[in-house]
Amino acid sequence: MIRFSAAAKRYPGGLEALRGVTLEIADGEMVAITGHSGAGKSTLLKLAAGIESATSGTVLVQGQNLGALGESALAILRRRVGFVFQEHRLLFDRNAFENVALPLHISGFSRHEAARRVRAALDKVGLLGREKAMPVALSGGEQQRLCIARAIVNRPMMLIADEPTGNLDADYAGAIVDLFMSFHQVGVTVLLSTHDEASLGRLRCRRVTLAGGTMVEEGGA
Amino acid sequence: MRLLRLHLHALGAALERIAAQPVASLFSILVLGAAIALPVVAAVVLQSAMATGAGFDTEPHVSVYLSLDASAEDAKRVEQAIRGEPDVMAVTYVPRAQALAELQASTHLAEVLAALDTNPLPDAFTVRMRSTDPASLAKVRTAWAALPKVDQVAADFEWSERLARWARLGEHLVGGAGLLLAAAVVFIVAHLVRLQVLTRREEIEVSQLIGATSADVRRPFLYHGALQGLLAGALAVALAAAFAAWARHELLALTPNYAAELKVVFLRPAESALLVAATGLLGLLAAWGAVSHQLRRFARDR
Ligand SMILES: Nc1ncnc2c1ncn2[C@@H]1O[C@H](COP(=O)(O)OP(=O)(O)OP(=O)(O)O)[C@@H](O)[C@H]1O
Ligand SMILES: [Mg+2]
Repeated sequence: MIRFSAAAKRYPGGLEALRGVTLEIADGEMVAITGHSGAGKSTLLKLAAGIESATSGTVLVQGQNLGALGESALAILRRRVGFVFQEHRLLFDRNAFENVALPLHISGFSRHEAARRVRAALDKVGLLGREKAMPVALSGGEQQRLCIARAIVNRPMMLIADEPTGNLDADYAGAIVDLFMSFHQVGVTVLLSTHDEASLGRLRCRRVTLAGGTMVEEGGA
Repeated sequence: MRLLRLHLHALGAALERIAAQPVASLFSILVLGAAIALPVVAAVVLQSAMATGAGFDTEPHVSVYLSLDASAEDAKRVEQAIRGEPDVMAVTYVPRAQALAELQASTHLAEVLAALDTNPLPDAFTVRMRSTDPASLAKVRTAWAALPKVDQVAADFEWSERLARWARLGEHLVGGAGLLLAAAVVFIVAHLVRLQVLTRREEIEVSQLIGATSADVRRPFLYHGALQGLLAGALAVALAAAFAAWARHELLALTPNYAAELKVVFLRPAESALLVAATGLLGLLAAWGAVSHQLRRFARDR
């Protein structure tokens, strides 16, 4: 379970990106965060993954107060979270296979098991056969899918995706939405942000809307 | 199992990093090895000098040489005077014939000595002293030198004391140079690792975002630093061993007769192993410092 209690985030420089957000996401639930650019969607997702820390209020994940966790404990928590970054954060000097294998390396998987899982993940996003491709040789949408493969390769308990369909055409966006739905169906908690109406229409899940750093609307689908 | 694999991965990554830049890696290891070899060679030279010096007598004793024309009577009188001194522990009379025999036995001058028709050595007393205090020694020396038929009074251990003092000074110099060069090794390895960290900044940051701890990030760099230290240490031992072999060869060629006295003492295997381990540790510590410092900077910049 993820629980935000009056969580706020002020970035150095003074801007308050998130204000008094109180929100509970149950295990296995799927929630879509929507809102205009600058509303605080990415900030909310980063707080849930322990990538950024709340400046006031608390964020609890699996009963653990993230603000009270040390650096190592946070890192270990992040291993169980698959995160799709809005800006991808792919390594451009590594090929597709190596990019997707990175979380498995960190977790200490054997080469054999890692290779098997990497291929399975690439297959899920339609990139099987592109293992050797360097990210620069991939289109924006393919890079995005590579990023999704890296997020799911470690079979996370929680999948957090920041605009995962942002660069995808309708067909691929639909396929990716279905992929997230399938994770949700096998019990993975899925938290994603989007402002893509087509994807939203396809997502049958709870929806939270942010504006100016506060929650303005909540509804199901 | 997981930890073992993480270490194997890190070791593999470190080897890959060395192999990825073979020329740069080779040069840095050469430079480090040469730097470490310098104090090692100095230590070998010093050890050899001391071993050669140890071949000489270091017991605190005074030699009293009589004139060549001294009679047995004269010798008796001198001996009594010497025994009268409270600092004297033991007095041994060395007749000139015995002195010659000893000299012939212990050095390679046998042929030269045999060619002489008269014994050039005087009768002598070897006096073992209780103290080596320079003031009381000087007093005794002047007193004995003034005795009739005494030709010369030599305090042999002054020479060995001087040698020991020089050796101590040498040890300090070698130690100082060793520390300085150890600092240089730390500095060079830290610099090389820092460059590696900087070129891998994106990889480090992404790894941390998806769950790498500081220890995970540090691990391959620590192996890289330790490997460079180990290789440089091994190279230094090899360079010093080559120097020792060369010096031994040259000494033998120059002074074949003195081969037994002038020896080149190289490090014992355990000492060599210790040196390599120590340079490995220095590399590890340097890498640790460099990565930790750089990670703190990255965290601050974010
Ligand atoms: N690292 C940062 N430092 C300073 N300000 C930041 C930082 N990240 C975000 N902000 C600011 O916080 C506010 C919310 O940003 P956030 O990225 O959460 O918005 P968003 O809803 O994800 O927008 P978008 O749809 O464009 O991705 C913005 O005004 C942004 O300028
Ligand atoms: Mg965003």
